[in-house]
Amino acid sequence: MLPNARSEFLAGCRDMSPVLVGTVPFGFVAGVAAVGAGMTPLEGIALSLFAFSGIAQLVVAQLVAAQSPILVTLMAAFIVSLRFLMYSAALSPHVAHLPARWRVPLAYLMTDQGFAMGVHIYSQPGERRLRHWHVLGAGVTLWIVWQASVIAGAALGAQVPAAWSLDFVVTLSFLVLLGPALRTRADLAAAVVAGAVVLLAAGLPYKLSLVVSSLAGIAAGVAAEWMHRR
Amino acid sequence: MNAWIVIVGAGLVTFLTRASFIVFADPQKFPHAFRVALAFVPPAVLAAIVLPGLAMPHGAIDLSLANPRLLAGAAAFAVALKVRNPIVSISAGMVALWALQAAAG
Repeated sequence: MLPNARSEFLAGCRDMSPVLVGTVPFGFVAGVAAVGAGMTPLEGIALSLFAFSGIAQLVVAQLVAAQSPILVTLMAAFIVSLRFLMYSAALSPHVAHLPARWRVPLAYLMTDQGFAMGVHIYSQPGERRLRHWHVLGAGVTLWIVWQASVIAGAALGAQVPAAWSLDFVVTLSFLVLLGPALRTRADLAAAVVAGAVVLLAAGLPYKLSLVVSSLAGIAAGVAAEWMHRR
Repeated sequence: MNAWIVIVGAGLVTFLTRASFIVFADPQKFPHAFRVALAFVPPAVLAAIVLPGLAMPHGAIDLSLANPRLLAGAAAFAVALKVRNPIVSISAGMVALWALQAAAG
């Protein structure tokens, strides 16, 4: 490893560390949910290693608990992962110059937090040549802490009293990313429309409300920007 | 057995969506309109994930002041706009929720 790569990697670890306060309870909740759904602890941990996505893991646990057909469960996991298509497209210009041995692990490590961090890292001025080490450090840090938290949740099971409302950390983890994402009025329009539509469409099956509302929000953002330009 | 099909399948689904553009596409070929739309992915998707957690704590929409998650979320968001450190804003949200729940008895 070049000395510069090392310092970039460590900077990524450091950047991600404040986020971990949400990651630990969120991972714990996901581990508890898997075991609560009837999976063995080993299966719950394997799900986390394969999927590495809190929302996908929670949705799979919900549908496994409801004894949904495999195809329905996988379709729901796909639908809640559609946002990764959008994240992937948004980050791809920054990593397009890298070889596949870099792009494959960076893709695997990309999460909501990782995407927000990646956008932040690539928006900084200065030397960019080794910036993928920075992103890797952030991703690896989140991965290790996430998996450790899921393992703790899967091993300890549902011993956390419901009154602690630990699941609220899931919402808060995404809420703190929302503020910095609202830079313009068009961003605000996208968020308001998506937020309204997700509540109105809450009755749709298989978490489809997430996809419908995301697309509506994006359309609102594009429309708001288009009207502003005229 | 079925559990392992779900586990591996969920892994494939999440990896392929993440890898879609990063591994398999050439961003130089994206149309301009697509790039404009991408800019609105974070605010739209994040709002869509957050709102049900705030406004539908028990599966039904509750926009009243009696919903502690709505107030705690507003407090955390206000803190997040002032302080860039997620430790502070997430902790503020949890403490606000616990305080409101305690106050409601």
